[in-house]
Amino acid sequence: MKQTPKALVSLFVAIAFALPASAEKRPSHLDMARAAIETDIIPHIDAFKAAAHALPDAVENVCTSGSADARQALNKKFADAVVAYAGIDYLRFGPMAEKGRREQISFWPDPRGFVGRQLRLMLLDKNEKILAPGMLAKQSAAIQGLPALEILITDKDKPLGPGEAVQYRCKLAQAIAANLVRLADEVADGWEKPSGWKDKMLNPGPDNDTYRSAEESAVEVVKALLVGISLTADLQLKPQVDTKIRLTPPYQKAGLQKAFYGASVKSLNQLYNTLHLEAYLKPDLAWMKGWAVGTWRTIRSIDGAGGRAADAHRPDTPEVREVFDRMNGFRNIISNRLSVAAGLTVGFNELDGD
Amino acid sequence: MAIDRRSLLLGTLAFVGSARIGASFASEAQHDVAYVATARRGGDDYCVVLLRADGSIIREIPLSARGHDAAYHRASGRVVVFARRPGNFGVAFELGRNTPPVIFTASEGRHYYGHGSFSRDGRLLYASENDVAGRRGVIGIYDVDRSYKKIGEHPSYGIDPHEITLLADGRTIAVGNGGIDTVPDAWRAKLNIDTMQPSLAFVDAESGKLVAQHLMHGDLKSLSIRHLAQDKSGLIWFGGQWQGGPSETPQIVGSAGLDRDIKLVDAPGGGKDLRGYIGAMAVSKDGRYIAASAPKAGQVLYVDTETGKVAGRSTLKDVCGVSSDGEHDFAASSGFGVIRYETAEARVLNEHELQNIAFDNHLRRIS
Repeated sequence: MKQTPKALVSLFVAIAFALPASAEKRPSHLDMARAAIETDIIPHIDAFKAAAHALPDAVENVCTSGSADARQALNKKFADAVVAYAGIDYLRFGPMAEKGRREQISFWPDPRGFVGRQLRLMLLDKNEKILAPGMLAKQSAAIQGLPALEILITDKDKPLGPGEAVQYRCKLAQAIAANLVRLADEVADGWEKPSGWKDKMLNPGPDNDTYRSAEESAVEVVKALLVGISLTADLQLKPQVDTKIRLTPPYQKAGLQKAFYGASVKSLNQLYNTLHLEAYLKPDLAWMKGWAVGTWRTIRSIDGAGGRAADAHRPDTPEVREVFDRMNGFRNIISNRLSVAAGLTVGFNELDGD
Repeated sequence: MAIDRRSLLLGTLAFVGSARIGASFASEAQHDVAYVATARRGGDDYCVVLLRADGSIIREIPLSARGHDAAYHRASGRVVVFARRPGNFGVAFELGRNTPPVIFTASEGRHYYGHGSFSRDGRLLYASENDVAGRRGVIGIYDVDRSYKKIGEHPSYGIDPHEITLLADGRTIAVGNGGIDTVPDAWRAKLNIDTMQPSLAFVDAESGKLVAQHLMHGDLKSLSIRHLAQDKSGLIWFGGQWQGGPSETPQIVGSAGLDRDIKLVDAPGGGKDLRGYIGAMAVSKDGRYIAASAPKAGQVLYVDTETGKVAGRSTLKDVCGVSSDGEHDFAASSGFGVIRYETAEARVLNEHELQNIAFDNHLRRIS
């Protein structure tokens, strides 16, 4: 029988899964942390930084010309920034956690509607002082970042442009764009500068005030992965499963809900693959590797808005409920099995206390 | 999250099943139960465990979702276990009596924060609750004899009331207002970190009036006050959780009184060494020592309340539950199933490890 290339790939995958997991090279804990930082975290942060830097000019072009092309370009640049941010949304430690930067970049979820309310007040007040460089950083986190900019650029009743009536809106949009550049720069610098967070994680030891061992550095990354899976399941999928929950999806006004979900799970999948936790599994648990591949395939087969992902690899489209359940189960497997096998014990209380 | 009534009932049935053991359970419970804790069994099954003094399990009671802390009334043997934030169930049972448990739920638009306290006579139960739409904390008041029917509310004088405890005077409730706004629809997402206003409030249990309040200002404005314990002199000791940047972490354990301002413990290494996070507080039976667990750091900090200085510091991975043991010693439980007994000078007396169980945040002394 002649084998098609697709069938050969399947066969290869099947053989690969049949091999004992221990055949893989086991990365050290420091290697895990290094790979995660250098392969996933910093490239994603740099991508966000680049996307943020493109915003001020794009906003200015719309405010100067008001042309359809400029609007289209701004929408594209905004989508790029949202997608890039989705790739680092799981980073709730280090420079992102300092000075409330994460909330300032992306104030979501927003079940109380703070962003819209605060923005309305600002637009009524038209206070020029807060538009001065650096002043927006002293205002509420809700109006400092991407969700506030989203409202301004998607408002069809008062679109940004050169007109007098929207002059303050334009200035505010430019201030928000500049603020996003500042935040992205601070996060990137916080990670990448000498003695920054990257160095801190990759040089653990008794004198390190945060990471005393390589295990602690690697556990930090595993915790971030678990947090990311929880956030995606609880905030993006659960409202679709439980209709009693009223929570506006991320960046829905700009039509980016699917893009946000896709970028979130793609980034988490990459981080998971980078860690190579399965290399530590004993042969009798090697099946988990195949199960994990299937789970990621399932997670990435939906678009996060009730439909099928454009790049889905599962032949059928799973129900959101199934994806939600598998994400929760997967989180438990990572926490209780895979990380334990790799000598990375993530405590029940330290992970999610109260 | 709305409670799953079906699974809650299944949990209840399981509890009743265990109670059917009858007199032996009653007598055993009366004499042997030393601690109550919530826990996770296996991957995702939650339960209440009744433990002997040596840490071995007497009974395990399934819960439909993750529990948090227990309130205990010594004279009546009543115990109430609360759902973890933002859950909305309470499970009440009586040690030493062969009666089925009472399940009650938070009223419409409210959820529990996982903590509560009985009135001195045991007739009332107070619970820390979130008035979600009102964006304020409340102290729910429940009539114990009417199957824990809710009969009223007091304001907590802040957002996010976490641990509440009736003080030794029997008429004042101390409230740790965490200050963090959350809405169950957004699960546990923190919505107001930049504007949070934590406080330690003292509320008159009968009238609901504010007796005193310590607001966190300046460098402490991001210190979420969450867990409390009262020492023999009447001071309230609190353990906070730092919501600001890690590099700015202040000391996170301190004390205050109704008429005494906040004073922070000068712990070597500061709050940063404790990873900015205290998970539980306890006082020794003699009232002299305070224990503050720091699960992210894997440490328990012991403070001598007579001197206000650190008496000892022990390390135990993922430790969180702390409770008194004997007159001036402590028991500490971990997410890896360990119960350790140690002195306030951090000298280990004994240690016991249970398999396939993860102790949750709190360990409540019963006997």
